[in-house]
Amino acid sequence: MSFLTPLFLAGLAAISIPILIHLIQRERKRVVQFPSLMFLQRIPYHSVRRRRIRHWLLLAMRVTAIALIVFAFARPFFQQGALAAAAAGGGAREVVILLDRSASMGYGDHWDRARDAARRVVGGLSADDRATLVLFGRNAEENMRATSDRARLLAAISAASVGSDATRFGPALKLAESILSRSTLQRREAVLISDFQKIGWGSAEDARLSEGMTLTTESVASPDATNLSVPSVTFARSAFASQERIAVTAGVTNRADQPARDVPVTLAIDGREIETKRLTIAPRSSASVTFAPFTAEANARGTVRAGVDPLPADNAFNFVVAPSAPISVAIVENGDRTGASFFLTRALAIGTTPAFAVDVVSVGRATPAVLDKRAVLILNDTQFPSVAGGAALKGFVERGGGVLVVAGERSSWPTDAADLLPGKLGAPVDRLSGRSATLGYLDYSHPIFEIFKAPRSGDFSSAHIFGYRAIEADPMSRVLARYDDGAVAMAERRAGAGRVIVWTSTLDDSWTDFATKPVFLPLVHQLVRYLARYEPTTAWMTVGQVVDLASTAAQIRGDRFVVTPAGQRTTQRVGSSGLVELDEQGFYEVRPAGATTGRPQTLAVNIDPSEADLTPLDPSELVAAVTGRATQAAEAAVAPTPLSPADAERRQALWWYLLLAGLALLAAETVISNRLSQKEKFL
Amino acid sequence: MPLTQSGSVPGARFVDPSILARIGNLDLLARTVVDGFINGLHRAPYFGASIDFAEHRGYVAGDDIRRVDWRLFARTDRFYVKQYEADTNTNFCVLLDVSKSMGFKSREVSKLEYASYLAACLAYLAHRQRDRVGIITFDSEVVTHVPPSAKHFNILLHTLDRAKAARPGQLADPVKKLAEHFHRRSVLVLISDFYEDPDVVLEAIKPLKFLGNELIVFHILDPAEVDFSYDDASSFEDLESGEQLPVVPESFGDEYRKLIAGHVNTLSTKFSEHRIDYTLVNTKEPLDRALFGYLSAREKLMRVR
Repeated sequence: MSFLTPLFLAGLAAISIPILIHLIQRERKRVVQFPSLMFLQRIPYHSVRRRRIRHWLLLAMRVTAIALIVFAFARPFFQQGALAAAAAGGGAREVVILLDRSASMGYGDHWDRARDAARRVVGGLSADDRATLVLFGRNAEENMRATSDRARLLAAISAASVGSDATRFGPALKLAESILSRSTLQRREAVLISDFQKIGWGSAEDARLSEGMTLTTESVASPDATNLSVPSVTFARSAFASQERIAVTAGVTNRADQPARDVPVTLAIDGREIETKRLTIAPRSSASVTFAPFTAEANARGTVRAGVDPLPADNAFNFVVAPSAPISVAIVENGDRTGASFFLTRALAIGTTPAFAVDVVSVGRATPAVLDKRAVLILNDTQFPSVAGGAALKGFVERGGGVLVVAGERSSWPTDAADLLPGKLGAPVDRLSGRSATLGYLDYSHPIFEIFKAPRSGDFSSAHIFGYRAIEADPMSRVLARYDDGAVAMAERRAGAGRVIVWTSTLDDSWTDFATKPVFLPLVHQLVRYLARYEPTTAWMTVGQVVDLASTAAQIRGDRFVVTPAGQRTTQRVGSSGLVELDEQGFYEVRPAGATTGRPQTLAVNIDPSEADLTPLDPSELVAAVTGRATQAAEAAVAPTPLSPADAERRQALWWYLLLAGLALLAAETVISNRLSQKEKFL
Repeated sequence: MPLTQSGSVPGARFVDPSILARIGNLDLLARTVVDGFINGLHRAPYFGASIDFAEHRGYVAGDDIRRVDWRLFARTDRFYVKQYEADTNTNFCVLLDVSKSMGFKSREVSKLEYASYLAACLAYLAHRQRDRVGIITFDSEVVTHVPPSAKHFNILLHTLDRAKAARPGQLADPVKKLAEHFHRRSVLVLISDFYEDPDVVLEAIKPLKFLGNELIVFHILDPAEVDFSYDDASSFEDLESGEQLPVVPESFGDEYRKLIAGHVNTLSTKFSEHRIDYTLVNTKEPLDRALFGYLSAREKLMRVR
């Protein structure tokens, strides 16, 4: 027999109270006056004390009652009973089976062993027990709700398959905690079956099981696992005979303790193997291989494969390549002076990602086709080409084109497109006398200036501006920059899908030395990118990411359908949310509904590179972190563990009977002592 | 008047103290007891009337010439004066312990009441033979002091009537003070329950004997104190100190009786060693019986003298 709170046993000292009462208190209830205690005091007291106990039954009852109550408070329980209860199942169990289905579980026989372990847990359930099957990778989901039906559980385990997700234990444990905390059953256990990748558990995870819940772990990790993976590729673009060629460099990582020799690394484009190279990689290190350049078509699917190992998922790396598309920019200048666009063209000639295709025309030679297939139109200190017309400009902007108005002294604006300009152009302001103007305010929240937000990321104040056009910004426009005197330096107005920005000084050396300052180049690039609504293309994505097809496949107007790598087809209606969760490794295709020909838009999806790191975590560390107890309740589901003292005591609840017995004895004692005292004769 | 008879003293009729307690007047009580008691005796207990010759003594200037024994002068040619018993009248003083323990009673009469009756009776006897009577009551100090005088009998009775057992007592200090008051040879009657160590008691009262005083001691005890006739276990409270003690009489009784008997014996032995009359009086015994015992003892002593 053990006690949960043995300190209460000190209360047994209270047994002396009834004995003392029997010895002393009884005599005190009557006081006899006596002339002198002179002789009585001389009589030895102990001989008296021994003989004073008269009602042995009462004394025994009082002592027993107190002892029972004290024992009740000490919360006794039988250790044997606890073991027996545990062995016999002693109460129904609520079991949550957490089955890891992350990509790394595809290693060798890990997945089969994991499912076998899950089946064993199901086999260990008694008729009253309930179990929930939770499959988890990056996220966790209840695959089978709490049920006592073993057949359904086994079927669900058999139907489960390995995913492409990364491993994260936190969400799974939180879900288990929430399921177990809702349960009304007495014993609550979570069984975690996984390969226990170290990267799946961060120290900052706050998953924690409540008191009374146990976590059992079942590791299927293989010691000395060998694994090759291709974590990333890079592209080098070069121009060759007016065509763009792309050279792919792939990195290959060997995570084994032995070197990987002669590993074949193959590049395939659109399913055709282009080239295979052999590579030797030192233990626990990486090497890279560069393939011969090739000319790619738009949306070409590329795959790099490296060697063969028990985990094939991370041996292949998918990507999408496309020839880079330069941003087409038309610069219209006044033509009355040479070199007006010198700084602009120089700045735009430098860009690679993206490149800029710049055409400079003078306003007199401009044709109506000047806006055709242009992303950005720059009116560099000139009047608007009359041949194009205000309506054509309006249409250009509303379709998504960008216009940069460099407002010098020659600038004018067609009245029929006046609402496109952020404000009304005023007279030139001469700041040659006195101190020149500087840029005093920049809206760093705007995408153009965002890259200059960090400290020492561009000194705009060093530029001197000697003249500018006053502009009265209307309320519909947004002021992006102001001079030190508060006048507008840059303002933006949106119209339809396009944008119009006015820079109220020149971008050459006539009114300002801004073009010679270091911030000039990045500012011009930012301006053109912003006006062209440039979005860098991603060559690949990672499983678990969510893409918004409304922006990535914006060119598909109308309904579209998405084909997953597994061949599953889902249709997206116009106006519906374009969000797609990428949960498979491979290529996702997006096509316009009804189209069967033509090249579809493709998204390459790879597994999380960290998933290739199979370094296992000590499961007891996880148990300690989650339960707050260092001991691991190993094999709890298969072989029942002894109950904790608190559980055993709660289950046996002996204190309740002891307390009742004690109180009953006290009641009986009261009755008996009352009767006895009535018979008592007094002096 | 209902009387109780006791066979131990033939011919004597004893009055139950509980009956006496109904007589409110101590004077009447004393007369009742003493007269009835004396009437039953064959021989008068008086030491003699004032006309009884006692002895001769030499004439000193100032003596009444009428008292000169001329016949003796004729024979011896010296002047002698005749002295009569009446001239030997002495001081009679009662020393009454009025400590709180004297207020104890297990029957109708408390020890103090009984002691008062006894004192009244003795004073009456003394008064009748023309002795000067006085009384001193004391507990831990002297409470009242009535000096011996032929006229003080009524005051004595009054003092006895008002005596109350109110405070804790102690023998040594007050008795030491009392000893200084008796400059003239006296008969001292000490009445107490003597809850003190016998040696202390003796040390305290020895000085009373120094001036040739005659000391007579009455030890008053209640029957409960002697027999310890309690049945049930109780807390016993000391009347004087208020201290309580859990007592189971059935286990204490024998031991207690042994101790109190030993105390009485020790007192008796020590008093007789110092030629002090000691009489143990139980308040359940008739008063006249106690008197009789006392007077018999006195008579024996007189004869010896």
